[in-house]
Amino acid sequence: MRDEPYRWIEAIQDRRDYIEDQLRVGSPVVGLAYDEGMVLLTIGRGQRKIFEVHDRIALSAIGHPADIERLRMLVTDTASVQGFQNATEDVNLHRLTNFVLAHTFKQAFESIVGEAYIIKMLLAELGSTGDKNRFTCINYDGNVRTDTTSTVIGGTEAIETGMQNYLATASTGIDRDLTAALQLGLETWAVGKELSSREPEEAESEETQIDTTQMHEIINVAREDGEVEAGVLETTQRGASKFRLLTSQEIETALP
Amino acid sequence: MQGFMNHKGDFLNLLKQKNYPLKIELPSETRQHGADIEIAHSTTVVAVRYRDGVMIAGDRRATAGTSVIYDRAEKVLQIDRHSVLAISGSPAIAYEIARILEHSFQYFRRSQLQELSLEGKLRMLSRLIRENLPMALQGIGGVIPIFALYDLNAADDKNGGKIFFYDALGAHFENVNFATTGSGSIWIRGVLRYLSRFGDTPLQEMDARQATVTILRLLDTASEYDAATSGYNARAQIFPNVKTVTRTGVEDIADDELEQCYAEAQSDAEG
Repeated sequence: MRDEPYRWIEAIQDRRDYIEDQLRVGSPVVGLAYDEGMVLLTIGRGQRKIFEVHDRIALSAIGHPADIERLRMLVTDTASVQGFQNATEDVNLHRLTNFVLAHTFKQAFESIVGEAYIIKMLLAELGSTGDKNRFTCINYDGNVRTDTTSTVIGGTEAIETGMQNYLATASTGIDRDLTAALQLGLETWAVGKELSSREPEEAESEETQIDTTQMHEIINVAREDGEVEAGVLETTQRGASKFRLLTSQEIETALP
Repeated sequence: MQGFMNHKGDFLNLLKQKNYPLKIELPSETRQHGADIEIAHSTTVVAVRYRDGVMIAGDRRATAGTSVIYDRAEKVLQIDRHSVLAISGSPAIAYEIARILEHSFQYFRRSQLQELSLEGKLRMLSRLIRENLPMALQGIGGVIPIFALYDLNAADDKNGGKIFFYDALGAHFENVNFATTGSGSIWIRGVLRYLSRFGDTPLQEMDARQATVTILRLLDTASEYDAATSGYNARAQIFPNVKTVTRTGVEDIADDELEQCYAEAQSDAEG
């Protein structure tokens, strides 16, 4: 098929359509920096979605649970072995993204006779100082996007754009505490959730037109058969490992 | 992609898959006749159960033969938030064991999404010590550690602190109130037994201050009789490593607090 370029491109496009259709209804994930670290937040239905990868690196993803698990293990194994063979300080997100994950995603996506990963991944790395914090999103085709203060992954680009737009209007930099970050994260999640329930053409409209009351309603409905999950990489954590999942009591303080 | 389906959370297997050399291969001549080299060892490490958990301490001297080669060695090593390994024997192997142990516990937690159980931690250390047996038998790589931890699942706070002692083959034994190992341990084991059984305040009922003063006196006693154990070096301000393992985690006792405790220990002695 590779010696027939048109058919190859067509096959790739079919594959892209199939994966995006699978990802469209995935529960979005929001990543935000705050005054004492970084938080990843989503609302899930039982399956855990936020994970510790290494001392200062956390991961979340949307997609097929089996693919998330396989790739989570790949990055966890790689980071663990690198941290042991060299030093834990030598493990960094740039190396994991560019030398391990991105090419694995791309290779699987473009090997059209093999299985593709149905996944979008978000990784967070707590820097030695606030300005060195990094959020990295890796798309199922291996494309990488990096941000320093906030990021989102959602089922489609339109959903992500809507969430980013909301963050841009509501956010005032990283000078916020954990509770404020959780509140902003939940509201942004609600925007993504609302957009994912619309028809694709509607979701692409620039007007999200959701007020705070609607956001809170969306969050409360989602909590009826789901659970808010949030993990932090916090500078105040004792010891080398900076990750922990927030308790339900901590999350409670930010709920509408 | 090799190894990414390792779902057992076994860090040793993962290292083997990545061809990390866990064992040191010695030349056959050395294997037959033993090594004619001086390996740094000798120590006193001691752990006691006190009111809040376990206090564990080690002197700072590293020796090779009759030479002192280092006087700031760290022999009490934090493994995770609630466990500590105190090492005696060959430092090179002991540090490697501590490092593998630390990474193994972390790897299990990160890959399996739960903490390794107390039994699992004990068995992991047993396995590492047993894998080191060939080195121990050749007389150049023996390691006899004390493993102390706080069991968050214990029925009450009084029983949370736990001390485990290992032999060279990897068997572990729970020491109820105290454990000591290293070349200086023979001088204080009887004292520990006496304090635990007949002391005015039994070890397990001491508060942190009392336990610190006691443990410093024990190390002082060991250093008096064992050339390979250092005491408190006042001129260079070098104190033993003293850590506590309690419900809130592992903490170092700071040097200024140790200095005050030393003053208390010495003033009582002079009085």
